[in-house]
Amino acid sequence: MKNLKSKKLIGYYGFPRRSTLRSARERFGRDLEFVDLDVALGAPDSRVIQTTTCRITANIVDNAIELSRNIVAIVADVGEGKCDRGRYAAFLLREAGFNVIESRFPPEEFEDRSLVYSTSEGSLAERVDRIMGTVIHPSSSVDQTRACSPTHGFWGVPPHDFRILDIFPPTTHIYGWTRCVEAGNPGDLEMECYVDKNVPTVFFTQSFCAKQDLAHHLAEKHDGLFVDCHRNVNNSILSKVEAFIKLS
Amino acid sequence: MEKKVKLADCGSTWTKILDVESDSLEIITTREMVQRNDPPFDIATGHSAKKRCGKFKNELLALAEGALSLVDKDDFSIVDVGGRDIKYIRFKGGKVKKIDWNLACGATTGATIELLAKYYEIDLSSLGSVDTWINVTCGVFGMERVLESVSSGESPERSVAEFIHGMVRNVFNFTQRPSELYLSGGFCDNKCFLDSMDKYCKTIPLGRAVLIEGLKEK
Repeated sequence: MKNLKSKKLIGYYGFPRRSTLRSARERFGRDLEFVDLDVALGAPDSRVIQTTTCRITANIVDNAIELSRNIVAIVADVGEGKCDRGRYAAFLLREAGFNVIESRFPPEEFEDRSLVYSTSEGSLAERVDRIMGTVIHPSSSVDQTRACSPTHGFWGVPPHDFRILDIFPPTTHIYGWTRCVEAGNPGDLEMECYVDKNVPTVFFTQSFCAKQDLAHHLAEKHDGLFVDCHRNVNNSILSKVEAFIKLS
Repeated sequence: MEKKVKLADCGSTWTKILDVESDSLEIITTREMVQRNDPPFDIATGHSAKKRCGKFKNELLALAEGALSLVDKDDFSIVDVGGRDIKYIRFKGGKVKKIDWNLACGATTGATIELLAKYYEIDLSSLGSVDTWINVTCGVFGMERVLESVSSGESPERSVAEFIHGMVRNVFNFTQRPSELYLSGGFCDNKCFLDSMDKYCKTIPLGRAVLIEGLKEK
């Protein structure tokens, strides 16, 4: 957060259309850095939204408020690739005085890109982080990756607290919304619901997120483990995932 | 002098301690365990155990291994209903098929029943079951329903029995509505809970030492 406060920034959240991101830069400054407002950047609670809200949505608003002197515009994903809370967050941020550019990623623009990080071996946290980096840099280097067969699966969005990802083995494949992001297909429900059969999978969502319904349904359907978490993970949640990984 | 090996399941409200040499099981409140200045347990499990033992074992792993030691079947389901959470495992062919651990909604119901029984001075060992229930989303929401029911003229005994029935329905749904279910934990001694469970499925109580059984080194 501290190093961001010395720069002018374009904030974004979700997976906006690439053309909208490009035009925002052309309009507000080609050298401006993008900042992903979904991520836990360490902003204090802005008290703009209630505490029983998906932590990712709270991050968007809290980060924007904390960086309000630095952000020249926010490119907001308000389509099916995000959620209604993301749409309302755009409204709240506009009411708060931000220059908000709304984006809806249409199915006609789905990219069907090859999956690399979702199906390769290595630290799960690093691979999730790299996938999210492809929203801004879709052609980032993939030299160091090696595909593997999955022993476990992680389904869901990048968590607010990445510590939960550290207990997964390196042979964990990535599914759900994060996989859709790597493919360039945000909002592709069919792809979001896909998991490899017989691969023990943890279906993760933030608490108070609409994806809880989908995660719970898929966990029941595939004998996976449904996990939801508000704010930071606690020992009980880590123990639950650890037991599932060891027992399955 | 040979050191006594002690295994412990340190739950949020109750702690079960097994002296392996004498095979004696001591059950004390976790409040008492925390206040006693005992040496660390050799092997332990449970929410309150992590900094009080030489070797810690994950609760679900202890439940799984304890269940496999005590149940002579390949296909069965077991649930451990604790003070603040509910743990569930279904075995198929002697292997884990499904696990779940309810930590949030539906949690703290066990501890809430103890609080309510103490507050209304109800003897849980003689409390009968009832056919009606209240929705027990979690301990706090369930308690609010009991307080409202008593305020409206219902007896505390019936209101608490309805809470227990509501909790049983949660357990039955959480365990995927089995026809037969093995039960672990303090509710094995709760007649109202067992009678309410029997309205939904055959329930076989295994007692309070299933997780301790899973700590024994084979």
